[in-house]
Amino acid sequence: MRLSLNFKSGKPVYLQVVDQVKAAAASGVVQPGDALPSIRPLAEELRVNRNTVAKAYAELESQGVIETVAGKGCFVRANHSPFRKEVRVKLLTEAIDEAVVQAHHLQVDKAEFLRLADERFGVFHQKRTRAANSGRL
Amino acid sequence: MTADSPAIEVDHLVRRYGHTDAVQGLSLRVAPGRCYGFFGRNGAGKTTTIKCLLNLLRPTSGSVKVFGMDPAKHEVAVKSRLAYVPDQVAFYPWMTVRQAIDYAASFRAHWNRDTERALIDRFGLNLAQKASHLSKGQRTQLALITAICPEPELLVLDEPTSGLDPIVRREFIQTVIGAYQEGAPGQRTVFVSTHLISEFEGLIDEFTIIDQGRDVLTLGADAARERYQKVYARFAGETPRLDLGGARVLRQQPRELEVLVNGNATEIVARLRAGSPEVIETEALTLEEIFVTSLAPERIAS
Repeated sequence: MRLSLNFKSGKPVYLQVVDQVKAAAASGVVQPGDALPSIRPLAEELRVNRNTVAKAYAELESQGVIETVAGKGCFVRANHSPFRKEVRVKLLTEAIDEAVVQAHHLQVDKAEFLRLADERFGVFHQKRTRAANSGRL
Repeated sequence: MTADSPAIEVDHLVRRYGHTDAVQGLSLRVAPGRCYGFFGRNGAGKTTTIKCLLNLLRPTSGSVKVFGMDPAKHEVAVKSRLAYVPDQVAFYPWMTVRQAIDYAASFRAHWNRDTERALIDRFGLNLAQKASHLSKGQRTQLALITAICPEPELLVLDEPTSGLDPIVRREFIQTVIGAYQEGAPGQRTVFVSTHLISEFEGLIDEFTIIDQGRDVLTLGADAARERYQKVYARFAGETPRLDLGGARVLRQQPRELEVLVNGNATEIVARLRAGSPEVIETEALTLEEIFVTSLAPERIAS
């Protein structure tokens, strides 16, 4: 898993870490049971405050993406979100709404939007399958 | 002197030299566990402020408190809990690296020998070398070792990386992140004064920009990058006339427009969208650009 931060994105740094770890888990780059780098080396490598990495990991844990094993470190969990289904759907709806707004302004219509969503699901599925077959990375 | 008193509290600090006010009414507050940037141009009053924190200078008026205590009244209590790396590091020239470290350790109740060994290795310092023969970079590394090994609750850095080569600078910052921040998060506060802002970008939680002895801007780093953004729009035809609510235009070409927004990015983007741009992009300012735009708005390049 390679993380790269962009201070020009305007997005809080800890959230960039959160989203990139989630993306890595969704695409199979990291798999359930894999250890995440511990806080100190990751903070040194990214040259960010340790608190930032600690905050990102706490957030990932509260979202059920990773779990902390005392004395051993942080590990990717085999899904699952601690939230109830309706909360999960609501969170996803918010993200979809943003994409729909973007689509409107970029003149991408509904049919094309849905085709694209389908394609992206395929891409992530393929990545996961490939990662699983190649015995991860 | 409770557990949650701020690590540093500066309240309307004034410090005068003769007829010159080096610091004129500065206020700031550093919560324990934060990495706090203190940004200013040369002569803005950074070092004077830091000297007041260390009781090397007395305030003309106003107050400074460190761990909730007046450093003039509780000098030993304050200094035993902090370490300071100045911009010009000096050691007794006749001492070797080993002797200089032991000399520094002799003033401290606590000293982490493991950290000491790890850092000497990391920096590749020769313990038998005379301090007078060290390069500027090595002297700074030695000062950092003597600052970190006592594991102080507060690390005060005054222009620590100016004049150092990029490799030493990079190592310096990694050492602060790694070796220093290793301890209990609430007891590892960094207060760093610098004008080399971009190097500390990832480390800074919160900052104050000081100019002519006054605090100009105090913000959290993430909040600052969210607030100060550049918005770029390109149009198919002539740039339409749009009311941009006072956003400062950085660049205007026949079909392109770039503006600087301060806290109202969403609104400005909506107004620009009304002109049906082909492309619209936003980009946060870095802390260094925010510093420049706060002090010399006309200098910010697009």
